[in-house]
Amino acid sequence: MNAMLKISAGVAPLQACGICKRYDDRTALDTVDFALPEGAVLGLIGRNGAGKSTLIRALMGLIDVDAGNATVLGEPALAMSDAAKERLGYVPQDPDVLGWLRVDEMFALLRGQYPRWDQEFVEAQLARTLLPRDRALGRLSPGERQQVALIRALAVQPSLLVLDEPAAALDPVARRDLLREIALRAGESGTSVLFSTHIVSDLERVASHVAFLHQGRLLLQAPMDDLKERYARLWLPSRVAPPRIVGEISRRPQQAFGGWSLVVEQIDGHWPEATQQPGARLETLGLEDLFVEIAE
Amino acid sequence: MCIVVLIHMDASSLTIAPGAPEPIYRQIVEQVRRLIAGGQLPPGELMPSVREVAGFHAINPMTVSRAYSLLEGEGLLERLRGTGMAVAQSARSARPEAERMSLIEPRLHELARAARELELPASRVLRRLDQLLENGE
Repeated sequence: MNAMLKISAGVAPLQACGICKRYDDRTALDTVDFALPEGAVLGLIGRNGAGKSTLIRALMGLIDVDAGNATVLGEPALAMSDAAKERLGYVPQDPDVLGWLRVDEMFALLRGQYPRWDQEFVEAQLARTLLPRDRALGRLSPGERQQVALIRALAVQPSLLVLDEPAAALDPVARRDLLREIALRAGESGTSVLFSTHIVSDLERVASHVAFLHQGRLLLQAPMDDLKERYARLWLPSRVAPPRIVGEISRRPQQAFGGWSLVVEQIDGHWPEATQQPGARLETLGLEDLFVEIAE
Repeated sequence: MCIVVLIHMDASSLTIAPGAPEPIYRQIVEQVRRLIAGGQLPPGELMPSVREVAGFHAINPMTVSRAYSLLEGEGLLERLRGTGMAVAQSARSARPEAERMSLIEPRLHELARAARELELPASRVLRRLDQLLENGE
């Protein structure tokens, strides 16, 4: 799997090496190596509690980690310069707000702080989303608060956009709009994007890369198209557990089928030899199925 | 006698199923291939821009670019001087039937396998297929 972590050229906008984080008796992150390739839209997927938010906070330098290090736009996450911060758009899962500040007041305040601030974009989004400009931030619904935070992050015209469960509080229309905006930003302005989600369909549309986080470990990290083309489910009829095979990612017994299902990976363009066994059957997998197989 | 229905190509003419095991770029490549082979997209027909397709389907523009580049590599699309892509003049439309059949062959195999696994009678499957081919629904 290490081969997938290699990045084409230059420094990845977001990179982590050997990140470990423990909370009391629980391991939240277990030696996570991670790289967001430049211009990629990387979907970080995992079940609730898999460690997605912890990883994102570690990458942003917002929590102390027990081991490993992270770099943001080529700088240590824990000591980012102002110049780097200006090129970063980050939306946490529950954005903090100054409750008494009005929506329009907040945008006016930020406008002066960011050299690349895109007021036209802000105006267009406020008009389109029907957000109440004169309402205090503290009186917005969670969905509205998330929209304000997203507009704010995008208005900065960031080189790097990091979104923690950005679609969680949004309705389906707002969600589709957000995905469209993310996709177009990446495609046209070369913005690199990391977003976490537990909703597979969000990721399937816009992500160019996928990373699977499961119980604090990064199980897979690959370009989206590779995932669909290079991973498959292998059905092996066998009463006893089949011997471990090269290219195996995960396995589980399937009683109804009378055998085992394995997730296997192509190696150098070839499926493992076990796929030739009598009774073996190889099946292509959608991302949802792949996710379920691995995260079970 | 064969009647070819010409379509005006816009972003909505493409069907994208993000959840399918087939990557989105390949879904685009294969649809365009079929539409050209079937003669519905004649040489010179302008393709919707990468932005239009990406925006309409809320998909990654790089995915659309990748599909277009592959089709360009196959000689089916050509890059116009200004901006944009069109069906290549050299992409002879309405390919011979045998060639068009070969494009659908893998799917027929899949269908046949699924029908066998489900132990469905061939007549029943063919009747339904007939309906779908006639009415589209």
